[in-house]
Amino acid sequence: MNKKENFLKGFIKENPLFVSLLGMCPSLAVTTSLENAIGMTMGVFFVLVLSNLIISLIMSNPKLAVLVKPVRIPVYIVVIATLVTIVEMVMHAFVIDLYRALGVFIPLIVVNCIILGRAEAFASSNKPVDSLIDGVGMALGYGAAIMLISIFREFLGKGTLTIWGDLQLNLTFIFNFLKIEPIAMFIQPVGAFLAFGLILAGITAIANNHKNKLAKEVTNNG
Amino acid sequence: MNKGFISGMVLLTLGLVCGILLSVVNYFTAPIITEEENKIKYATLAEFYTLADYDLSEVEGDGAFGTIYVLKEKGTDNIEALVYTVSAQGYSDSQLVQMLIAVNSDLSVEGYKIVAHQETTGFGADIVENNFNVTVIDNLTNFDTVAGVTKTSNAIKECFTLVSQRAVGDLGGGLSE
Repeated sequence: MNKKENFLKGFIKENPLFVSLLGMCPSLAVTTSLENAIGMTMGVFFVLVLSNLIISLIMSNPKLAVLVKPVRIPVYIVVIATLVTIVEMVMHAFVIDLYRALGVFIPLIVVNCIILGRAEAFASSNKPVDSLIDGVGMALGYGAAIMLISIFREFLGKGTLTIWGDLQLNLTFIFNFLKIEPIAMFIQPVGAFLAFGLILAGITAIANNHKNKLAKEVTNNG
Repeated sequence: MNKGFISGMVLLTLGLVCGILLSVVNYFTAPIITEEENKIKYATLAEFYTLADYDLSEVEGDGAFGTIYVLKEKGTDNIEALVYTVSAQGYSDSQLVQMLIAVNSDLSVEGYKIVAHQETTGFGADIVENNFNVTVIDNLTNFDTVAGVTKTSNAIKECFTLVSQRAVGDLGGGLSE
């Protein structure tokens, strides 16, 4: 696998949310507005990239790896928890509105399966540079996925797209044009499951279609 | 060497490193966090007074009283104003009507605000602004119960009564001198 493939696999082929179905709980909870999704992405990006890098640095050193191997899961958790606490403190200090909106889901990044999953499945057995690229790709793939869900939910539920603070796209004219009201259900918890299900169904349909085409080509050529 | 001991030492070292790192970050962010939290906490107080002009302290009230904010003249011990957090039973069983009532040292009411309630929508917080005009804390004669929202307006009246009883003691001769 070259570096480009390594980077891109997080977006589609091994997307943590839509393909691996990891870390769904916070993803469904915070996607009520695009702003929350962007904030969550930044938090996850920082933690995932650095945890991948640090863990890979520890595990690629043969002397350290021998020492750490028997207690590697606690070591991963301590590293991840430290990074998450730093994110939490910084967010609390500088973007307090976002801190309040994300609430308990910031500390819960610690137990987000994506981060521990990448640490154990990739960073522990790959070189630091590859792990860094993997972390960036996976975090951006995850970010793209939750932003997609939040755009879907916020647009249908409120008719707006909040990018950051007061920077907001007001798209209610579309609803006015169609003479319907925004569907408030989509910003409630039940809407999260519906939105996620619909998007997942769409993505799976496209993926299956693509697979069938590939299979046909193979049979035709063979 | 014992394997368990080595593992323990690894975790201990890592814990120490992470602890030091966190305390460094905390050292820089903690003052900013306190400032930001206070901004939010005192946002309602700032509607009544310019907070920078006073020394602000807090006293925990008992019974129906929550936090009482004491505003002293800068650098002295003179109490300029007291802001009471007070609650009383309204229509809702699950949420008391909670008010902030700001009383100046001459017992005039600087302002008041409902901070929490679960009364019927359209009444509750609204009726305070529309129906009551309390300017002096020991004169509650113009305070009529509003028909139709008896329980809510009684709760508000009770808040004022409790504060009036207490403020006379706190400001009249007790705390300020």
